[in-house]
Amino acid sequence: MAEIILECKELRKTYLVSAGAFKGKRPLHAVNGVSLQVEAGSVLGLVGESGCGKTTVAKLVLGLERPTAGELFLEGDSVKRLSPKEIARRVQPVFQDPYASLNPRKSIAAIISLPLRALGVGDPATWDQQVDQIMEVVGLPPRLKYNYPNQLSGGQRQRVAVARALIMRPRLVLCDEPTSALDVSVQAQILNLLMELRRELGLTYILISHDLAVVEHLATRVAVMYLGRIVEQAPTAELFGRPRHPYTQALLDSVLTPEPGLGLPRTHLGEAYPNPIDPPSGCTFHPRCPRADHRCSQEEPRPMWDGDHLVACHHAEGT
Amino acid sequence: MSRVLEVRNLFVDLPLPAGMLHAVRDVSFHVERGETLSLVGESGCGKSLTALSLMKLLPPRAILKAQSIVFEGREIKDAGEAEMSAIRGDKMAMIFQEPMTSLNPCYTIGNQLEEALLEHRKLPRHQARERAVYLLEKVGITAAASRLKQYPHQLSGGLRQRVMIAMSLMCGPSLIIADEPTTALDVTIQAQILRLLAELQEEFEMGLILITHDLGVVARMADRLAVMYCGQVVETGTTAQVFAEPLHPYTRGLLECIPVPGKVEPGSPLGSIPGMVPTPIGELRGCSFRNRCSLAVPECAEQEVLLRELGPGRALRCLLGGEA
Repeated sequence: MAEIILECKELRKTYLVSAGAFKGKRPLHAVNGVSLQVEAGSVLGLVGESGCGKTTVAKLVLGLERPTAGELFLEGDSVKRLSPKEIARRVQPVFQDPYASLNPRKSIAAIISLPLRALGVGDPATWDQQVDQIMEVVGLPPRLKYNYPNQLSGGQRQRVAVARALIMRPRLVLCDEPTSALDVSVQAQILNLLMELRRELGLTYILISHDLAVVEHLATRVAVMYLGRIVEQAPTAELFGRPRHPYTQALLDSVLTPEPGLGLPRTHLGEAYPNPIDPPSGCTFHPRCPRADHRCSQEEPRPMWDGDHLVACHHAEGT
Repeated sequence: MSRVLEVRNLFVDLPLPAGMLHAVRDVSFHVERGETLSLVGESGCGKSLTALSLMKLLPPRAILKAQSIVFEGREIKDAGEAEMSAIRGDKMAMIFQEPMTSLNPCYTIGNQLEEALLEHRKLPRHQARERAVYLLEKVGITAAASRLKQYPHQLSGGLRQRVMIAMSLMCGPSLIIADEPTTALDVTIQAQILRLLAELQEEFEMGLILITHDLGVVARMADRLAVMYCGQVVETGTTAQVFAEPLHPYTRGLLECIPVPGKVEPGSPLGSIPGMVPTPIGELRGCSFRNRCSLAVPECAEQEVLLRELGPGRALRCLLGGEA
């Protein structure tokens, strides 16, 4: 078995949010007992609707938030014992919007070299050379080095974000919707770059995306989140080929592939996504589930492993 | 079928400090009743400005020129503000991308729904309210009567977009222009909203102009499509024709960029279009796509490339190919 680069054990993050004026604060379980293992060299796709907690997981992994409960291990070390700088050495992010995530007042060279300067890595005399190298790796022309983000196109900006993430040579890169803000033709360029870099540098990715076609293309393993929990997790081909959780099935049914003549899918997800402050009882998916019965509204399903396919449902397909 | 809208040779120019931006160049299309036409393209291709010029909602400095814009048999190319505001929201309605910014946060859903009817039809308020409740139920909103008293921020994104759709239907329009109606929504909600839109369109026999960059949405929704690049229509055809046999190198490139499960091997490199969209400022000559096109020949830079009719409804703006 390959080395485990990231491990979450029963990870929880609870925020206290105001329920309205004069009502006091109520807990919102953004991440509610997530257990995950990411093998070195793999790509874990994390999918789910907005509000399901995928970005909170990302913040926990990056050390931007501390877990309320549970444990998180990076390369075998608990993050509780790692300083923010040490976490930054091991995992780096690429965010969704390259227009918002780059400082408009810094040159491209300054943006890319910031992690080196912040962490004081190596000899300052080599930083400039490292910037040149990494710009070449991500396919940025050297003439852009002293330009500013507003002079770059969306695709080039996202390449800058990738370069900044890679300059520390982290082994794990967390991509939160890396191509959602980009045009289709540019999206393909960035996805190709990410795949190429993974092969060449042996990177591990956590890929958070709502675009299931992108996830299917890149990920080796996929975890589906619903209201802070992982409801299904399996190798990509297995999950897309034989989804067992009714929520995963509905998600996959909703994808509009560019195939004319198929018409629009009928999904059974009638109800809107529930308010995470007030999650339904039992299985949190039961109000939207076609297979729900009395038991589902009472009893929370335990995640069950079947080989390397995990599913949390009382009525999972094939059991 | 009767023709709801016919646009001939539409041009939109925007004066910018850097020069004249030719945002929409010689765009022609038509929409029949009950039919969906999709304008497809990437950001900056002029698809949204095309839509806004139909409604005459262009930014004040923009210059609109057209040979004709005929809506329901009436020439509206030179229509003034008074004439346009009688049409807008009545016979021609628009659904925007972000329902949170297109709904007014200070007014209740009911107020905003009723406004169009009170304005255009001078109906008494209780009748407008009845219609609002009827349409909210039609778009799948439960407890419609109580929703009328709610404000936009109390609704989820999907519900807001349903309210927008109900609002566009208040006066029984013959044409709906939907500009990226589901881009801000989750996939599961997207499928529901599009399905709803398609059902309502059939029921009320409306023409629909669907503006999107999402080829999946186009494939499933549109009857015909026009691919736009850099302000021009580069290819038109029925959805089946264009997806089965894309003729323009840009259309082909776009289709190769998206991973299609079952057709593209996972992990294999995706097709991509090198370079970026040029900004159509100043004097323009030749094919706008030539700098990104792998098939470009010297003639592409020299002569004006015209949209050639290849068959009924099928047209191509490219010097090469198209004979197939």
